Formats: sequence, C-alpha cells, structure tokens
Amino acid sequence: MQNNLTPRYLIIGIILAWAIYALMPTWQYQNMTEERKEELRTTGELDKIESKIIKQGLDLKGGMYIVLEADIPTLLINLASVDDDRLKSVIKNAQEISISQGLNFFTAFKNNVIQDDIKLSRYYHEYGSSLDDILFSLEEEADDAINRVLEILQNRVDQFGVSEPTIQKQGNHRIVVELAGIQDSERARALLQSTALLEFYLVKNIAVTNEMISQLDDALKGRDDLSLLSSSQNQMPKEILSEPSTDDSATSVSELFGDSENLEKNSNGNNQDSTDEPFIDAPFSNLLTAIPGDIAVEEKNVYALKKLLLMPEVESRLGNSKGQFLLSQSLQPLSANSAKKYYRLYYVEEKPELTGGIVDEARADLGSLGSGSAGQAVVSLTMNSDGSRTWSRVTGANIGERIAIVLDKKVHMAPSIREKIPGGRTQIEGFASITEAKDLAIILRAGALPAPVNIIEERIVGPSLGADSIKQGTQAVILGLVLVLIFILFYYKLAGVIASFALIWNILIVLAVLASLQATLTLPGIAGLILTIGMSIDANVIIFERIREELRKGKTPKTAIDSGYNRAITTIIDANVTTLIASLVLYQFGTGPIKGFATVLFWGILISMFTAVFITRTIFNAYVSRKTLSSLSI
Amino acid sequence: MRIIKKTNIDFIGKTNSAAVLSTVLIFAGVLSMILNSGPKLSIDFKGGTFIAVNYTDPVDIETIRSELSSISIDGQTFDFGNAEIKYFGDESNIAVRISSIEDEPKQFSKKFTDILANIFPDKVPTDRSNFILSVEKVGPKVGAELSSDAIMAMLSALVLILIYVSIRFEFKYALGAIAALTHDVLITLGVFSILGYEVSLAVIAAFLTIVGYSLNDTIVIFDRVRENAKALKNIHIKDVINQSINESLSRTIITSLTTFFVVLILFLFGGEVIHTFSFAMIVGVLIGTYSSIFVASPVVIKMASK
Repeated sequence: MQNNLTPRYLIIGIILAWAIYALMPTWQYQNMTEERKEELRTTGELDKIESKIIKQGLDLKGGMYIVLEADIPTLLINLASVDDDRLKSVIKNAQEISISQGLNFFTAFKNNVIQDDIKLSRYYHEYGSSLDDILFSLEEEADDAINRVLEILQNRVDQFGVSEPTIQKQGNHRIVVELAGIQDSERARALLQSTALLEFYLVKNIAVTNEMISQLDDALKGRDDLSLLSSSQNQMPKEILSEPSTDDSATSVSELFGDSENLEKNSNGNNQDSTDEPFIDAPFSNLLTAIPGDIAVEEKNVYALKKLLLMPEVESRLGNSKGQFLLSQSLQPLSANSAKKYYRLYYVEEKPELTGGIVDEARADLGSLGSGSAGQAVVSLTMNSDGSRTWSRVTGANIGERIAIVLDKKVHMAPSIREKIPGGRTQIEGFASITEAKDLAIILRAGALPAPVNIIEERIVGPSLGADSIKQGTQAVILGLVLVLIFILFYYKLAGVIASFALIWNILIVLAVLASLQATLTLPGIAGLILTIGMSIDANVIIFERIREELRKGKTPKTAIDSGYNRAITTIIDANVTTLIASLVLYQFGTGPIKGFATVLFWGILISMFTAVFITRTIFNAYVSRKTLSSLSI
Repeated sequence: MRIIKKTNIDFIGKTNSAAVLSTVLIFAGVLSMILNSGPKLSIDFKGGTFIAVNYTDPVDIETIRSELSSISIDGQTFDFGNAEIKYFGDESNIAVRISSIEDEPKQFSKKFTDILANIFPDKVPTDRSNFILSVEKVGPKVGAELSSDAIMAMLSALVLILIYVSIRFEFKYALGAIAALTHDVLITLGVFSILGYEVSLAVIAAFLTIVGYSLNDTIVIFDRVRENAKALKNIHIKDVINQSINESLSRTIITSLTTFFVVLILFLFGGEVIHTFSFAMIVGVLIGTYSSIFVASPVVIKMASK
C-alpha cells in the first residue's frame, strides 16, 4: 500500500494546488476596495481578473433579464409588396394558430395559405414564384432579420454603458438580453424595444383635420357600444389657454385660432346641449381638447381614443382620405400649474415622405442659444446622400406646411417648414431629458430594427434584494456546513475529522471549477452548494457505516477499511449517477438561475466522489500503514 | 457513537399500514388539486406579472388592496382588488401577482410600481431604485412553453433513471424506484396544493432534486439487496429486503438527518426568494426517505412474487 500512495499524494496535491490557484482571483477581488478596482479598471487589468472570478448571477447582483421575440408576422406584412386585408388576416390567423397549437409560425402560415388558396406570389413576387420557394426565402429573410436585430441590439447595448452585458440568440426568433446592475429598467427596455423607425410625415392642414374630426363624430354617433368607453369621457377644460406652444413657434397662433376656436365652441356647445349624454353625440371630438396650435388628448382619454381609432368605420374613413392620427411622444401639462397632462394629436398623411435608414450620424445636444430650443435636449441628425436629396426636395416643395418627425409611430415634433433644407441636416426636439435624447441618438446610430421585437419575458431583481440574497445565502451555507461538520466530528470522531477535511475541499474545488468554467453562481446555485454539503457527506456515511460493520464482524482495521471502501464504492457510484442524471436534465431544461443550480449540483456530486472517496481513502491508508492499529476511531 | 444499534425491524410487515398512509396522503393531495383545479401555478407557467416592493415601514395589505381595486393607467381602469397581495419576507415588503392582461398599457410595470409608491408616499425609500425588489413578467406564450418544458424535464428524468436502474439492477427494481419517485412528487405536489404554495420554476428544480435524492436513498438499499441476494440464495426475497433495509438503516437515518438539517437551515435562513424551494426540499427529504423503505422495496417484492 505504501508504494501506491505516492501517485495518490501527487494527484491530490496537484488538484488542491490548482483549486487554490483558481480561487485566488476571486479571493483577491472580494477583498479589493472600490478605489483599487477603479485603478485597475483604467489599466485594463480588472477585466483580466474579472474573467477569472466566480460570476454572480443577476439574482444576486441585481439586474435585468429580458427575452425579446422578433415579430415575424409584422415583418412579413412589411415585406409584402401589396398589403391588403386578406394577407393581414391570413398572417394574423397563422400567428394565433401557432401560439395556440405550439406550431412553428411558418408551418401554420403555409397551412393557412394553402387552405385559403392565396396566391403568395401576388404579394411576394420578388421572393420566387412557387409557394415553397417563397416560403423558403421568407424564412431566410426572417432568420436574417433576427441576426441583424441581434447585431443592432448589441450595438445599442454596448453604448448604453453597463458592464458585461450578454446578448444571445435563443432558438430561432428570440434574443435573451442580460444587463447587470440596471437601475433604470424603463430606460433599458425602451432602448431595446424601440424599432427606431424614423419617418417624416406631412401634417394635414387644420381645415382638413377639423373636417375629418366631424366626419368621425358623425360616423361614430349612435354606436351603442361606445358607452363602454364613456367612463373615461372628457370634461372640456373651461379655460382657453393662450400660452404659446413651445413645440412650434413658427406657426402663427392667430392663423390656427380661428379653427381651433370653432372646434372649441363645437365641443363646448355639445357639452351644453346634451349634458347628459355628450359622449354619444360627438364621441370623437369629445375626447379632444383644443390648444393653441394643436389638438390635445388628455391622458385619461388616450385609451378610449385608441379604441375609437381601431373601429372599422373610423379605419375606413381614414383610409379613404389617406390620413392617420398619431400621438405625440411626450406627455405634458398645458401650463406649469395644471395637473392634467396631455398628448398632442396630429392628423398626418398616410404615407411618409421620408423613411428608413437615412441617418448617417446622430448626436444628442442641448439646443443652442437663440434658437427655439435653447437649453433643451435635442438630437442633431445628418442624413446620407439619398436622404439629403429627398429631404431637400420635400422641404422645398412644402414651405409653410408642417412636417411631423415620427419615431416608432410617435410624433416627436411637428415644425413648420420655413425654407428648403439642403445638406440633409435636421434636429429633433421634444425630449424630457438629455438622457432620453442620448438614448435616441444611440438608437438612431445603431439603425432601425428590420422587424419589431416584443418583450415576452422579463425579470428584474433590484440591487437590495440581490444583496440580501447573497447575505442570507452565504449565511445559510456557512451555518449548514458548521452544523454538518459538528455532527460528523461528534459521530465519527477521527474518521469524522477526515470526512470534514474532505467536505471542505469538496466545496473549495466546486467553487474553483465554477471560477475556471466562468459559470454563474445564482441563488439556487447557493442552494445547490448547501445541498451538496448534505449529499456529499452521504458518501462518507455509507463508507464509515460499512467499515463499522466490518469491524463488528471482527476484522482488523486495515481489512475493515479495505473491504468497507470496496463494497461502498459501487453503492456510491450507482446512487450518485442517478442524481447526476437529474442534474443534467435540469441543466438542459432550465433557464438562468435554475441552470446555476444544476451546474453546482452536477459538479458538487462529481467532485464529492473524488473528495469523499479518493482523498479520505488516501488519508486512511496513510494513517493505517504508519503503525499497526488495533482499533480505529470511527 | 452509534445512534442506531443493530436492528431487526420487520419493515415489510408494515407495508400495509404504510400503503394506507401513502394512499391517504396522495388522495388528500389529489383531492385538493381537483378542488382547486390543478396545482397552484406561478406566473412562470401561467403568465402574468409579479412585483415585489420594499417600503421602509410595515404597511397594511388591506389598504393596498382597496387602493388597487380601482386604478387608472393611461385612461384604462383596472380592478386589482382580487389580485394576490402578500407580504414578501417581512411586513414592510409587499408582493403583488397579477395575471396576464390583454392589451396591456405601455410601461405597465413602471406605472404600477408608481401607484404602489403613491399609496404610502412617506414609506418609500429615499433612493427610489431601492423600492423595487423584483419584477417578473412572463408572457402567456412563454408560460405555456415553460410548462411543457417542465413536464418534459420531469418525464425525461424519470425515463433516463428507469433505463439506468434497469441496466444496473433489474427491471423490477427500476419499477420500484419509479413508483417511489412518482409517490414522492405526487405527495409533495399535494402538500403544495393543500398549503396553497405556488409551483414555480424553482419548485420544479426542487422536484427534480427530490427525484435525485429519493433515488439515492432507494439505490443504497437496492444495492444492499443485490449484494445480500447473492449471498443468501435460499432465503425469500422478502426477508432479504428486510435484512438489507435493517443493515443500511443507520446510514439512511444519518444521511437523511444531515440533509434535513441543511435544507431546514436553507428554509429558515435562505431568504424569501428560495423559501418555497427549500420547503419543497424539506418535504422531499422526509418523503424520499420514507418511500425508499416503504414504497420502493414492497413494489420490488410484489414484482418478484409474480
């Protein structure tokens, strides 16, 4: 036996030394002051250290986990050269079927197309002629789109300034984003979800707008289901606000006043004529408020307005006159002392004058002195040559008209065109803060997403909960460890000392493996560590009980140890392999935190076979071979 | 020191009483699940929003409930009076669970936490970023997928284990092991249903660990049975099993105790986030130990006597 021990010592020595080496960076990092970290960050050494330490999961350090799904149906509608209702309904149908039956979207789409006998080549002639060709190309297009989305989001997040963001594709149409230590989750969400579709629409003039509003009132009058919405009916503000609009100083107030006063009177008149049921008489205009220069919608009416705009009689009238209503991006009080907040409502052309990837450069600034936007956050845009040409043509042809600058279907501003703008420069205003402007500049620089994305899963852990979890988790690990050690020492005496030694090494080696695998330690991972303590001591219990049994049969300590280990080993392997299977399945199926649990459990059990069997055996052998023992402390 | 001296308990003789106990436990759990139309699922599987916030002082749940019974977000009115509102850890932390909302307003979770903050404005931490403890939002589609994933995970773990045990032992042992595992998961699920605890992703992880743990116990006994069966060829399987259980009893009890200690500590000190996880583990350790003696082995005897 003596001869066999030297290689054993060597193996154990190497592994223990490696474990210490692997854990050194983590130890260093934990004991580093914040100043020292900053110092090392500037020299770039911190990155090196950080790549070797045990990473903490989002549930421990706080942060955001978001799963985004590309909106393939919308992508398909956008790709179609003709988008009529028939195509839209087929696509919508296919989406519903794919959700309810768990089918692949394209499979459902194909079935629907065949079933409804739709000629896809009518819509997608650029993508081939046969059904299969088109579907194949469209699927490729969707794959390509999600890859571009991934790249663009990567770009946006890189500029957002969080440490170690991870962005990964999951399956075919999903992207998982993990952002550590995010304080402002709304901001992060907006940054990720914004399609960044920048469009410029001409605003229809006020007479046309008023005409449309009264048409819609007529169309909606008498619809009996409107009363459902009337809970949010509007009271017209009695005061007429004369404060000039900050949004657009160039439009003369008096020019608009005539019309908006009419509107005001109309609505007020309606209010007085039929105070009991005003909503039914002028369902649309009753949601609106006239303000100088524009029409506004009070916050509480927005939901009702959106519902009205989706009604078929409204949609068809808007379609006939080739117009659409868009809301402003920001919610503002009409005056400083007013508690009510409003969105502006714009009636614009159906088709944009200028759209898409025309942005060359975007920069957030504070508006220069003397301009209308002095001191406000603005984003300055430079367009590429195509964009510049169109922009100069559009502005040249529409002097005096208003143009709405629209991002993701929200109007940022709608200034009047004073002169032809050559050189493709423009400025966007209407931000609540410089941060918002900066984020928009980031988004515009990174480019528009080829397909809209929806957030389908989102988990945020606040920094304080994460800190609590670490504290409580560590506490539980130490307490559990101490309790088990005491019990084992008490119960097995000297053998217990050996087992305790092995158990501590078990935990250290697991941590070392986590550090070198760059695995993430999550709260369930800590639970896994505690469970490992409980379960890895089992191997020693099995061995020791067996040795005791052999001793009772009258065997000498040496033979008792030999046969105890030999008999116990198959039991231990069989018992542990099954738990390993469970942990592998868990790893396969789990996400984030659960994966962390499975990782720890897997390595914990695997390593326990080394520490609880191999290391303890070596120590026992060394102990037994040194002297002729007549009894064993077990 | 020895807690368990050499024993000679007739475990197999007590199979019938154990069967009654198991049946009662399983029946109670299943009945509770039928009455509540299935186990209580967390938003991981149902979809919905979970928001936990942290006030600086204890707050009253009923006040929050009445405030939430009529709130307006972007002109859309909601009644969350029936939402599940609970203390989260201590009485100054509140957790609200809301099921999926069709056509949800933009920035819903932000607006909702603002509403929660406005109920007790003077109890909101000065640093607002400390107010939100956790927000989880799972879309209905993801929920459905996670459910089928979880079921697949449980089934594939069971099948893989069945295969492994059949190879290492015999098929009848595999059946015994699977019977014990199903028994454990059913009872733990039942306990969750009776106590009204939610089954979340973490609880499924606990279930899989219970499967691993319970099996661990079962296999240690089976291993002894296999060994003894070779040595004691002429003795009835029933007696072989009984002797094996007795021989490995001290190990079973010591390991169960140590594991029980650590999961108990996890339950008591591990914090709110893994509370249900560790609770599932506690139930699992107890039931797993019991089932390896009183379920797995009797099934093997039944199969052997056929």
